[in-house]
Amino acid sequence: MNDNGCIHLNNFKAAKGTNPYKIVHAFFVSCTSFEARRYKATSCLCFTCGKPGPRMHSCLHCIYFACYAGHIQEHSKSKKHFLYVDLSYGNIYCAQCQDYIYDRELNEISISHKLKEAKSLGISMPFMPWLPNSNEAMALRRLRKRRLISPHTTIGLRGLQNLGSTCFMNCIVQTLIHTPLLRDYFLAEKHKCKAQGSGKCLVCEVSKLFQEFYSGAKTPLTLHRLLHLIWTHARHLAGYEQQDAHEFFIATLDVLHRHCMNGVDENGEKKENGRCNCIIDQIFTGGLQSDVVCTSCHGVSTTIDPFWDISLDVAGPGSLAACLERFTRAEHLGSAAKIKCSTCRCYRESTKQLTLETLPIVASFHLKRFEHSSQIDRKINAFVSFPAELDMTPFMSSHRRAVDVGADNNNAPEGVFEDNRYSLFAVVNHVGSLDAGHYTAYVRQMKGGWFKCDDHMITRASLREVLDSEGYLLFYHKTVLEYDCDAA
Amino acid sequence: MTVNNTIAHQRLVLSGDRERFRELLRRRLIECGWRDQVRMLCREAVKENENSNVTFDMLVTKVTPRARALVPDTVKKELLQKIKTYLLTQKDQ
Repeated sequence: MNDNGCIHLNNFKAAKGTNPYKIVHAFFVSCTSFEARRYKATSCLCFTCGKPGPRMHSCLHCIYFACYAGHIQEHSKSKKHFLYVDLSYGNIYCAQCQDYIYDRELNEISISHKLKEAKSLGISMPFMPWLPNSNEAMALRRLRKRRLISPHTTIGLRGLQNLGSTCFMNCIVQTLIHTPLLRDYFLAEKHKCKAQGSGKCLVCEVSKLFQEFYSGAKTPLTLHRLLHLIWTHARHLAGYEQQDAHEFFIATLDVLHRHCMNGVDENGEKKENGRCNCIIDQIFTGGLQSDVVCTSCHGVSTTIDPFWDISLDVAGPGSLAACLERFTRAEHLGSAAKIKCSTCRCYRESTKQLTLETLPIVASFHLKRFEHSSQIDRKINAFVSFPAELDMTPFMSSHRRAVDVGADNNNAPEGVFEDNRYSLFAVVNHVGSLDAGHYTAYVRQMKGGWFKCDDHMITRASLREVLDSEGYLLFYHKTVLEYDCDAA
Repeated sequence: MTVNNTIAHQRLVLSGDRERFRELLRRRLIECGWRDQVRMLCREAVKENENSNVTFDMLVTKVTPRARALVPDTVKKELLQKIKTYLLTQKDQ
């Protein structure tokens, strides 16, 4: 099969150009406007039998609509109009060649109309499979050394030496290394650094680390350079005592985010709205919406703040979903905490509700198991169950708003096409007491393949074992990634 | 197709929701591996008839029954439920 069409189509194109195809396609295959949709809705019926199918086609010569159950063939024979377009997919049938034919030029028109249609309907770009360009195809041919990735492969797994109470770092590094999208970024060598070779960039260090993890070697790694870099850039973590893994995680993201600015093209890393577009923000940043509602005038004041993780209270609820439900519930602030209402122009009692305005690709949950107060520091061992698959839709701002307004007219399928499913890929656990504890991590190597990382020891684990563990930090990865509409 | 069905269909096209449902279905079928399975079925069918000229219509007759059977129930259920909900909310307006 080639995409040079056939002699009959080429003759037709030479006589009439591509316009007949363009018009049929824009109006009846991929509607590029509301007007086109009106035509398509009302006129896509077989001119012979009046039915809407099966497999409607349009004659390319005279725009005669007919079904594939014999009528388009009849028309073609009697009028000697040999080319007709399939109205579902836009492919062209040549009755003389007796098959569908493919033409590069018309295919390009078809793709551009599909993109236009997606944009006009506000849906994400249709899926396009990856086709290697000539450079990529050549690079693949030239690459002699290949590694087979089988379901039982252990490539990408390496233990990490404990440098004296550094298990808090080891478990976070294991988590980052096994974050699918971060791995793809680094293995594709996307970080181009200005400060290359200076040994001062944490992103470069992580990039090297990925190469080490995937080199195929099995001996445990020593992360002294990484630790030193973090000590230099996040001074509050310097020292030889045990640190909090959560604090280390946030500090690491912060340093990585700052060092991403070492990237070659400064403008390219920024979006027009001024928000950072570095890989850390692309993967880990979500938007937390806070609605403060005045109880007198019901005026709403909304702010949206970026977040990297969500800290949840564990006392009370017994599951992650219950924790999230409580986190996103409207809370009455009480008479002691009056807030100035901009409509009433005076201090009023109000309610406050937190919801998720935008979701990050990696959702990180921090279960607040360590309680620090002036009197006592303690660890809460309360059981909190967490699922392998999590749907975040109920905690979204758009969803909560619809629920709160009531079920009357608002069960419209808003957000029906949003897919907010997440799957668990890493869990960090803390065992032992507050001052003499130890961190371990469970990571997902491939779908369904779990491993326990305990410093230099890596052992196979079952999903059951992961879900039964206590859980301190939980990491979920978005199941379906959307295309960025702006990028096209 | 009854008059009601035709109107529902026209509304779906007009609002663009038919295309939205189609895109959702397409995505689900890719996610669950159906698309790859069907691709393999087509390859087999082409290989079996290596010596003759395989046409699109031959492939359709050969692969369709098996391809239809391969669509997971979860995908069918989700689409059915979403279209049902959609049509019911439309009726009220």
